[in-house]
Amino acid sequence: MVVAVLRFPGTNNENDILRALSLIDGAKPILVPSRKGLAGLKDADGIVIPGGFSYGDYLRAGAVASVESITEGVRNLAEDGKPVIGICNGFQILSEMGLLPGALLPNDSARFVCKWVYLRVSDNTTMFTEGLEGSLIRIPIAHAEGNYYCSDDELESLRDEFRIPFRYCNEDGDVNDAANPNGSIDNIAGIVNQKGNVLGLMPHPERASRPVLGSSEGLAILENFVRATKC
Amino acid sequence: MDLIHEGKAKRVLQDPDSPERVIIEFTDTVTAGDGDKKKEFVGKGTIACEMSKYLFGYLEGKGIDTHYVKKLAENQLLCKKVTIIPIEVVCRNIAAGSFCRRYGIEKGIELTQPLIEFFMKDDKLHDPLITTGAIIRLGLAEREDLDFMRSVTLSVNYYLEELFKQRNLILVDFKLEFGRTEKGHIVVADEISPDIMRIWDSKAASLDKDIFREDKGDLVATYTQVFEEMKKANPDEVEPRTESIQVIVESKSGIKNPPGEVTKKALGRLGFADVEEVRMGKVFKIVLRKPITSEILNQLSIMNVKLLSNPISEKYKVRLE
Repeated sequence: MVVAVLRFPGTNNENDILRALSLIDGAKPILVPSRKGLAGLKDADGIVIPGGFSYGDYLRAGAVASVESITEGVRNLAEDGKPVIGICNGFQILSEMGLLPGALLPNDSARFVCKWVYLRVSDNTTMFTEGLEGSLIRIPIAHAEGNYYCSDDELESLRDEFRIPFRYCNEDGDVNDAANPNGSIDNIAGIVNQKGNVLGLMPHPERASRPVLGSSEGLAILENFVRATKC
Repeated sequence: MDLIHEGKAKRVLQDPDSPERVIIEFTDTVTAGDGDKKKEFVGKGTIACEMSKYLFGYLEGKGIDTHYVKKLAENQLLCKKVTIIPIEVVCRNIAAGSFCRRYGIEKGIELTQPLIEFFMKDDKLHDPLITTGAIIRLGLAEREDLDFMRSVTLSVNYYLEELFKQRNLILVDFKLEFGRTEKGHIVVADEISPDIMRIWDSKAASLDKDIFREDKGDLVATYTQVFEEMKKANPDEVEPRTESIQVIVESKSGIKNPPGEVTKKALGRLGFADVEEVRMGKVFKIVLRKPITSEILNQLSIMNVKLLSNPISEKYKVRLE
């Protein structure tokens, strides 16, 4: 199925995503530069918005990209129930678009954080975590604005509706402050929308998709995504 | 027609055709010194009405919001119904009138830049000069409204001055009144005629109500003469003026501001130990092609919420420069 990998000016993880997707049976990844607008997404069965620094992170990370015309197509596909993943800057773009709630603020440390972390996958399944429920994943992060923030009410809905599939934890799987790399509320690393077909994720599954990269534990997330494009 | 208000030189009547409109009738009465001096001049109402129509139309053409709709009879204008804000806004380019008396300076001194003054609209108190702080605390207007009126008055000053300059007429000072329409838009109201402004010729001879204040000649003839001169100026030759606005975006209180904390630590290392807190935000300077109107301010709020700030974590302020 056709997976559109979006590239905004300043996106720089698109090749990593394309390569990771090429490992998955049935995925037909295509690169779609954002200037193509709505037309660029007409054949897409799913969308990945990769990481990077779209528009140089000017204004706020993801803000300028979030008002590009191609985002209308992302919205339409999401409404149709097709799977959409925003990774790192992609997550920032999805939240700036309002497709996902909350905002990604500067890391508590005020520093760019680039390291391997562990994620605790929620016991409650989502489209993207089938087969991974309750597991521990080793995966890299690389961001300056990954500090997930939302209102208390929003946090309550996210919890009540089991929309927090990924949380930062230590290597033993304990979700605690010490294992929180950026100050995210409730150690949130990834959330899904109400329908469950839009995932925003700060860590990079594509950088944990082959043993040579140090881990292939992220590939399953992308495999689940590809399977969902066929539905 | 129902009389809504009777002023010193005008009557405001309800427009029988629309509850949102009024008819402003210009009378021949001229008053000065808070009504101590009062006289009728046949034809003054007509010429003041003509001139208001002309200048309101000109200012509207330049993008300034006014209450003017159209001219009805020779001394009547159809206008939007507004609630008058009880503050008179005076703009001065050259020292004259009460400004000279108040500060003991000579008439005719050019001010380095246009000066905006606010006066409280109250006949009993003789329309006293009032500070912005007092206006806000007395609940006469909000700070945002005053900033808005100041900005619009400076735009009006620019457009009138540039028009008059073409005919060697000098705009010394003028007074504007503002009103709020049913929709909540603030617009220039009242009138624009030599009753509310001082105009001099190149030899500093008065072409306005000072003729009456100082008994210096034929008022109606002078008004007519200055109007004829004004009409010879070409409005299209007056270049549009840009307006600057600042939008300040800050993170909401209660939200950590790591860049500010890092800056505070750095200031501490430089020895500024008394710095309690630093929060870092953003400032946008936006230059608009047109004068500021209530509609433009509404658009700015939308701009702010849609792009310039993230309402989830940030708040914004708009400052008119």
